[in-house]
Amino acid sequence: MADIIIDHVTKRFGTFTAVDDLDIRFSDGDVTCLLGPSGCGKTTLMRMIAGLETPSSGRILFGERDVTQLPPRKRNIGMVFQYPVMYPTLSVAENIAQPLKHDRSLSRGERERRVEEVLDLLDMRKQARAFIDDLDAGSRQKVAVGRSVARQTDIVLFDEPTTNVEVNAKLQLIRTFKAVTQRLKQTIVYVTHDQTEAMTLADRIALMKDGSIVQYDAPRRLYNDPSTEFGGWFLGNPGMNFIAAERRGNQLHATILDSPLDVASDLGGGEIVLGIRPENVLMHSEPGPGSVEGRVTEQTIGIAGRNLARIAVGSAVIKVKADGPAPVAADGTVQLSFPRDRILVFRNGARVTL
Amino acid sequence: MSVSFQSLTKRFGADLAIDSLDLDIEPESFTVFCGPPKCGKSVLFRLLVGLETPDSGSIILNGTDITRIGPANRQVGYVPQSFALYPHLTVYQNIAYPLTLARRPKDEIARRVDRAAGILSITHLLEKTPDLLSGGEKQRTAVARGLLHDASVFVLDDPLVGLDYKLRERLMDELKSLQTELKATFLYATSDSMEALTMAERLIVLDKGRKVQDGSVETVYREPDHLRAMELIGFPRANLIGGRHSSGLLEAGPFRIPLHRDTPGEVVIGIRPEAIKLGGNQGIAASAEVRLVEDLGSEYVVYLDSNGQALTAAYPVGDSPAPAFQSSQGFAVEPRDIVIFDAGSGARIGRGAA
Repeated sequence: MADIIIDHVTKRFGTFTAVDDLDIRFSDGDVTCLLGPSGCGKTTLMRMIAGLETPSSGRILFGERDVTQLPPRKRNIGMVFQYPVMYPTLSVAENIAQPLKHDRSLSRGERERRVEEVLDLLDMRKQARAFIDDLDAGSRQKVAVGRSVARQTDIVLFDEPTTNVEVNAKLQLIRTFKAVTQRLKQTIVYVTHDQTEAMTLADRIALMKDGSIVQYDAPRRLYNDPSTEFGGWFLGNPGMNFIAAERRGNQLHATILDSPLDVASDLGGGEIVLGIRPENVLMHSEPGPGSVEGRVTEQTIGIAGRNLARIAVGSAVIKVKADGPAPVAADGTVQLSFPRDRILVFRNGARVTL
Repeated sequence: MSVSFQSLTKRFGADLAIDSLDLDIEPESFTVFCGPPKCGKSVLFRLLVGLETPDSGSIILNGTDITRIGPANRQVGYVPQSFALYPHLTVYQNIAYPLTLARRPKDEIARRVDRAAGILSITHLLEKTPDLLSGGEKQRTAVARGLLHDASVFVLDDPLVGLDYKLRERLMDELKSLQTELKATFLYATSDSMEALTMAERLIVLDKGRKVQDGSVETVYREPDHLRAMELIGFPRANLIGGRHSSGLLEAGPFRIPLHRDTPGEVVIGIRPEAIKLGGNQGIAASAEVRLVEDLGSEYVVYLDSNGQALTAAYPVGDSPAPAFQSSQGFAVEPRDIVIFDAGSGARIGRGAA
């Protein structure tokens, strides 16, 4: 059993710093998703854990074992790539069994038992004798998942395995992944740029940007309590609203606030921005305590038929998600309220707790 | 500028790509075209741009018949689905190309290229040549170039396809504001449901070269006239289940719906994910196994298996906790939330109840 310890790891390619002094521990038995936009360093980090890249500085440990200088084959890890490499002339079962043949500690009976178990997990018993070439991309990727987990290595790495898989097969694959990881409890690192995939699969998400991990948290925590503006924007469909605020003494003023927000006196200088998720803004037809007036500029439909309105408040445009159309008055206005416990304050992009 | 298609027909051999289409598009409007592959949307755009000649009918731009005018003299900006950049020119020169061709002053070109590059977040790439760009960066360069035509009608054929979700979310906002700012008429085709919902002032659903629905997002979503409209508009996708109607009873998957109408035998029923109420008992009730729960941040999407029938349900986070993976769940659907379509023509027949 093994934690993955990233000990002050930096990776440079020429003058470009892909991974910048990362220092973090991924816990044993967790599914950790490395999430972020392209160029954030997630793939480079995974490739260093795999041994496909060597850090420019720092160490990588699996538990107590320093693997920094070990080649991939000596690290005892499973890997699933975007384009799985398989034996086209072998059947599904034979492909899964292949890596087990190199493990001399396994008896033949044990090998067969493991292959059977994996076929069950994949729900592919019926296709056990099918050839790889006869499978669609999604099923092939399922076999790749099966093959890497069958070895029962402590650590399995996944590099955007659903990228080339069509939607229905993708769901199947994610479902399989979920079933397999819940059963086998291996330490898993899964690279993706897809927030839904990360939210759905991860025990913890490492949200990355510009070679750094900006937050490492459970999915709902990351969604509800982003530590950066970037996190508030990157997670969510659509992401968080951000509204510029002005600090006067111990109070913040902003167009969305009917009265100032009290803050600690040691907030410091810099750019202050208020963040609130579209589903946390409330719409009313009549003015009430704390409400401000806005003008509906657009109404449309979002996920699951929910109404999505854009509302201009002063110079800001606020997106509001609600289970019904905006209650627009005859003059085109609507009343908005922003519950104080849902407003997050950011200073120079980083969360400030009040 | 207004655009008008009058009894427009285009054949490719025996294939009817556009079937006597009549359509009037208001000046300064944002119209989104949706349809399955080969529905005719790309052909329609190529006809408007002048890259194809119609077999019959006419195209009127602001009152002038342009059917026989060459592409260079039509003043229509075009972002094609498949694009080519000039490999020997820099990104800047590629974007500037239409303006250079029109012999615009240098400082005006610089200003407009900077603006377009800023919108598409490619300012840092302006001095590079296309061979150094990723696929997404090339695509954004092509979009920027298409937007720099001296035109007041723009045709965008699935311009954001394949880009990362977060980048698309931002570009959707930018394209909308750009259209308002330019006071231009935008015709926009997309294969992505979220894009259609977010961008459209007017939504036109095409199928087999014909217009099968034309209306606001609200109307097309809540009152689909045609199977294609229900299939293509909405996220997550609507549940569509083939069924049979005989002697007053419609049977489709787990649903049995008494009907008093003169309904054809072969039908397809459509149910929006939000109409499947987990734990509900109003209407038609059944049970299902939870195959997967996706967490979208503010919505859960629940994939169910009800006696072999795959179903998708969706509801806001906070309404109730996410159901457990692989658990058994009761659910219910109100008959009035079931839309019934003729399996042959795709036309809407009615609902499961008034």
